[in-house]
Amino acid sequence: MLKKLSELLSRSSVILSLQASEKTKAIAELAAPLIAEGVVIDEKEFVASILRRENLESTGIGFGVAIPHARTNAVKTMALTFGRSSEGVDFSSLDGKPSHLIFLIAAPETMKREYIWTLAKLSSLLRRDEVRKGLYNAQSADEVLAVIEQYERY
Amino acid sequence: MIKQLLIWVNETPEFHAAAAWTIDLARILSAQVYAVYIMPADARAKKGKRVNSEQEEKAWQVLYEIEDEAFEQNVRVSLLLETGDPLQRLCELSASYKTDLLVVSANCPVPAAELVRHSPKPVIFYKQPKEE
Repeated sequence: MLKKLSELLSRSSVILSLQASEKTKAIAELAAPLIAEGVVIDEKEFVASILRRENLESTGIGFGVAIPHARTNAVKTMALTFGRSSEGVDFSSLDGKPSHLIFLIAAPETMKREYIWTLAKLSSLLRRDEVRKGLYNAQSADEVLAVIEQYERY
Repeated sequence: MIKQLLIWVNETPEFHAAAAWTIDLARILSAQVYAVYIMPADARAKKGKRVNSEQEEKAWQVLYEIEDEAFEQNVRVSLLLETGDPLQRLCELSASYKTDLLVVSANCPVPAAELVRHSPKPVIFYKQPKEE
């Protein structure tokens, strides 16, 4: 059963003001809620997996959005975190612009189908102006979740 | 020296085979792959926004499948979702990303002669070998 994006993102995994402005630090900051929730069982391996992908791919998809991701045994169950950065973080986006809206996807090695589906759904959703605008303007974690819930297709 | 490869992808097995071959070639050459999915320009106007977002999701699924395969082979890959006329977009992207080679499936719907004539770079038409 494929979960909706709003079901994969918990309130405690929303960071409305990311402190880090450098990619590796931003990834560590985004990973922290997943570690606290017990979703990530091996912090070192999880961050290393994310960075391995970052070295081979540009996870910045343009429009000020980045979706760093990893599928690894260091993760127990699939989950998302969201971070918003006013300064922006360089995720080597093809349009050369920094990313302000960052979703981190963590998935267990065995959940390839769900992982690809979530990446696709999130990428498609975040290309919509109204979704990005909603996320920029959200004042609370509840508002972030409400924006995603409102626009994601069932 | 071939350092950057552009591959046109879609959901068909023929295009997927061409992408797999391109990733393998990139691994051998230590080259980077640009994988592009091109959606028809009139999709939104003809079928409405909802259908367009379904098409977008399918397109991203194809692209992320390619990304996952490239990652497994330690190949650098960038994903591009574009809209418009395939011939025009392929030629524009090949020029703007300064790719050295364009790879398309032999089943590519764009006439081969047209693609070769307009492409700023050499084109490989990949035909999947028949299984013995």
